[in-house]
Amino acid sequence: MSAVTAGAMGRPPPPPPMTVGYVGWLRKNLFSSWANSLVTIVLAVVLGWALVSLIGWVIVTADWEVITSRVQLYLVGLYPKDGIWRPQVAVLLISALLGISWRTWGGTARGFAVGLGAVAVIVGVIPHGLDILNRILVLAIPAAIGLGYLLAPSLVAGRSRRMVGAALIVVFVALLLIRGIEGVPGLEPVNTRTIGGLLLNLLLALFGIGASMPIGIGLALGRQSNLPVVKFACIAFIEIIRGVPLITLLFMSRHILPLTFPENIKIDTLYLTAITIMLFSSAYMAENVRGGMAAVAPGQTEAARALGLRGWQTTMLITLPQGLRNIIPAIVGQFISLFKDTSLVFIIGMLDLVEMGRVTIQSNLEFIDNGREVYLFIALVFWIFCFSMSYVSRRIERALGVGQR
Amino acid sequence: MNQLLYVQGVPFWRNVVVLRWAVQIVSAILVIAVIAGFFVNVSAEIAARDIPFGYGFLDREAQIPIGESVIGYHPSDSFAYGLLVAALNTVKASVLGVILATLLGILVGVARLSPNWLLNRIALVYIEVFRNIPLLVQLLFWFLIVLSLPTVREGYIAFDAFYLSNSGVNLPWPVPQDGFWPWALATVIGIVVAVIVARRLHWRETETGKPSYPILAGLAIAIGVSVIALLILGPMTIEVPTPEGRFGRPQGGAELSGSFTALLAGLVIYTSSFIAEIVRAGIQSVSKGQTEAARSVGLSGMLTLRHVTFPQALRVIIPPTISQFLNLTKNSSLAAAIGYPDLVSVASTMTQTAPAISLILVVMLTYLAMSLTYSLIGNLYNRAIRFRGT
Repeated sequence: MSAVTAGAMGRPPPPPPMTVGYVGWLRKNLFSSWANSLVTIVLAVVLGWALVSLIGWVIVTADWEVITSRVQLYLVGLYPKDGIWRPQVAVLLISALLGISWRTWGGTARGFAVGLGAVAVIVGVIPHGLDILNRILVLAIPAAIGLGYLLAPSLVAGRSRRMVGAALIVVFVALLLIRGIEGVPGLEPVNTRTIGGLLLNLLLALFGIGASMPIGIGLALGRQSNLPVVKFACIAFIEIIRGVPLITLLFMSRHILPLTFPENIKIDTLYLTAITIMLFSSAYMAENVRGGMAAVAPGQTEAARALGLRGWQTTMLITLPQGLRNIIPAIVGQFISLFKDTSLVFIIGMLDLVEMGRVTIQSNLEFIDNGREVYLFIALVFWIFCFSMSYVSRRIERALGVGQR
Repeated sequence: MNQLLYVQGVPFWRNVVVLRWAVQIVSAILVIAVIAGFFVNVSAEIAARDIPFGYGFLDREAQIPIGESVIGYHPSDSFAYGLLVAALNTVKASVLGVILATLLGILVGVARLSPNWLLNRIALVYIEVFRNIPLLVQLLFWFLIVLSLPTVREGYIAFDAFYLSNSGVNLPWPVPQDGFWPWALATVIGIVVAVIVARRLHWRETETGKPSYPILAGLAIAIGVSVIALLILGPMTIEVPTPEGRFGRPQGGAELSGSFTALLAGLVIYTSSFIAEIVRAGIQSVSKGQTEAARSVGLSGMLTLRHVTFPQALRVIIPPTISQFLNLTKNSSLAAAIGYPDLVSVASTMTQTAPAISLILVVMLTYLAMSLTYSLIGNLYNRAIRFRGT
């Protein structure tokens, strides 16, 4: 029986060797020509050398005491010691929320929940400078995720709307816990100057993005308005804010914003900064919203007008909602860059994560040579947040099918 | 319009024209009131709290040190001159940064599309690492690295001409001689002629279909004229830094200070990771059908790239790249964190002896002027590439 009839009988002839399996993959992707092979070999040598020296440095040379002995400073700044349980509970609440969304949505949320749990277990178990109390706290994170996962059916029953409600409640409670409530024993408001470290970056970015939504939408609508004065004012605001660096705006916030309030009212630096970041962010948000609304098919507007909706009804009920759905990935992107930009508050003397690191190196003689450890740690923290958010944004983009409808 | 005003039976409060004007006027009053209120309030507070404000300080002696300058500076120079020096430092960092970031970004973006899996993945890691870490952290890190280099005496030397140490980088640099201006003039004339010839050849190519290589011809003319003038006039000599004095500090050539080197490294690496993504997306945005169609009508690989892929990709790539240039320029203000005397850093030093509010307004106006320049370039480009005649 010849090979050809063997194929016709349902057994295809075997593929030529060297084109399938590992060997085939290697030949196709790494050694397809002599130039490619050369590139591959050179890169592999350089990469291998870099990785070996980096890992060697991380494990052998680097002295991580500068991080492990002051984790609390990096995470929450000078937050009062006796109230430290409040941000910790907030973290556990958010972990539980992650567990709930794992049960409700699966997919990306599952990946995050499992990843966070695994990292927490590793950090909690491997030997290093953390004391036993902190270890228990770290190990409570996977427990909270598990609890959220178990309670999810009774809490949100797999409904997205309830899930969003749960998320809002958790974020609100977490913020209240961190800020404190007037007159409740054990929950006294903390001095805003003590809020620092990563917590400050997160709070500023969250507030900036949340508060800039309504303002940004207003500015975007104003920019498209047919009232010349409103339109011009909105364009001027947006373009001026987008044209100058955030650092100069923060500088302004310290010198000019207090003048807009009466002299006897002392506005907290944290609030001044938050207002500035909100204004900064709203100009960019306005441009995002405008882009999203421009992407709504013109047929939608025409159909709405044909049905007899008025101009503002068309905007509010048809264009704006669809436009906002379009820009969800862009908002995540803006959140990422805002989160990175919150590190600029060093210019007005606030102790965010980066500034805390810098101060640690410069004001402790024993850590004067540990700058690399500190900056690598800070970079890693920011990177984990930003990379995971951009990953989520890409998933949402695919799920929404922006540009494919 | 006037006819609308007097429509029979419609009371004036429901008349569209009247309503429109009313809304217009009310909103105008509101906007003006808010802005005026802000200014009145702020200026009253400035007066009430004895906050210094005004621009008289600009002529006074600045009496602050500025570490480096493109045009020379002495503390006895005026504030205005000091701000100019600082603005030029910002321009220097951003122009060099834009050029290097574009080159590196294109390199990484193309590497991202390489069929070589390893190169492709390394480019991906590069992009994802550097664009997800705040620029400030990267700057502080590079500055730390520069500071931890060996001292000038034990620094790294390549070819006896390039020096790298904890005080920065020294490299050979051309120094203008007598014939510089005639040479510059000749070069400009060469470029003008090259542009005219290239346009003419491009026109011939699109009209007749004969391959005329407009870009190659233009480049050849421009570079040829410049090189010939260079050889004849001898307008520049290359100055090589040489170690001098007790500390063996290299003198001559171009000197990039430690903080400038760190700033440039940070800006270039950070921005190039964004440009690389733009370049990748731009090239991938040209649909495969375009290439296939070009090949099937008989264009060669090179011609396909030049006439089909590139023009369409550039249309997608250039506008966001220009906004990255603007970002880089604004980000150069982070120099204040590592001690490079840029506009923000110098202005914040000046606030010790000059009115802070006035200074900040000057700084903001300067940045605004720079970003308007970028938008102008972007708008001109967008107008030039707009689809015509459909």
